[in-house]
Amino acid sequence: MYGGNNQFDGNAAFSGGGFMPSQATQTAGDHSFSPAKNRDSQTLIPLTVKQISEAFQSSDDKTNFLIDGVDVNNVKLVGILCNKMERVTDVSFVVDDGTGRLDCFRWVNEAVDTKEMEAVTNGMYVRVHGHLKGFHGKKQLMAYSVRPVDDYNEIAYHFAQVIYVHSYNSSLRKQHDSSSMPAQVPSSAFNTPLKGYQASASNQFPGYSMDGIRGVDKMVLDFLQQPSCLALEKGVHRNELVQQLQLPSEKISEALDSLESEGLIYTTIDEFHYKSTGNG
Amino acid sequence: MDMSNPAVFVNAEFLKEHVGRKVRTVVQVVQSDGDKVIGKSTDEIQLVVKGNPPNALSTFVEVIGIADTIQSIEAEIWTNFGDTFDVNSYEKVCRLANGDYKHLFI
Repeated sequence: MYGGNNQFDGNAAFSGGGFMPSQATQTAGDHSFSPAKNRDSQTLIPLTVKQISEAFQSSDDKTNFLIDGVDVNNVKLVGILCNKMERVTDVSFVVDDGTGRLDCFRWVNEAVDTKEMEAVTNGMYVRVHGHLKGFHGKKQLMAYSVRPVDDYNEIAYHFAQVIYVHSYNSSLRKQHDSSSMPAQVPSSAFNTPLKGYQASASNQFPGYSMDGIRGVDKMVLDFLQQPSCLALEKGVHRNELVQQLQLPSEKISEALDSLESEGLIYTTIDEFHYKSTGNG
Repeated sequence: MDMSNPAVFVNAEFLKEHVGRKVRTVVQVVQSDGDKVIGKSTDEIQLVVKGNPPNALSTFVEVIGIADTIQSIEAEIWTNFGDTFDVNSYEKVCRLANGDYKHLFI
């Protein structure tokens, strides 16, 4: 529900609040934009205002911010609400989370919105969910949920979560950097290890990512990736690997099993001949 | 966006490093008289909080204000945090926010 709302919010805010134009822009923009607009990039990320202030705007696209290499669309803040101002169509306020102050807006279209905004007053701790966007070079939050914090443990909890998510996203980025990925615009692929891995595998062809493959596994894979072995249609026999690498047969078998389960090699004419999937 | 005046998470230990700056902390109220509250910090050291406390204070109170001395705070904002509060979690977050993850906060 939030995903849908949010998409509307962003586009509506873009095109000056019109409903019809936003639909049109959405369809037009969908072609180039849809791969990034998956559900992963729409996740709600807990942040501090400080992080938002340092967020990197990756392109001209006003909705596109990067924090720790991850696309940031929906964010969660916990802080003190102040400067609340009610206007005809929206309520503007500032959230101060102790690290900085961020301008927020909440459209009040329906009774439920009005009611929620009436429940919060200046000086109150609130939890805000919203869509981050840039407007005239400033960052703003288009809030779609503003609720009072009633258990104050949530404040410590929120900041613990901020730290966790930051560590998680930055360690993912480190993994990518170390696998010698060429500098490119990071995408939502960083959100999940699985996607990250797939992306690196296809991008690095034929150099191939061997991140995390070590020891015997790496030796076997390296051997199978030699051009001379790649050229062999039936691949390489297990015994030949034992001979060439001068390692015990059990070790080779273990490595072959593990590489096979990783999808990096496959058996060919029988269960003893192996070939790398790296370059068919 | 105004980043000019952040309030740093502190306990009694970190308060010392921020004298003259804006801080936020939670204390367990020990004694309250008029414009001065004596409280126990999350790392169990006695702190003095000055200012205008609200009439009714709960057991745990968050104060945001200027670190006056290494053991006192001139509070601007008082928030009652209720009678049950997980001091340990707050203390741990406070340590992280002053340690490896300082850059996310100040």
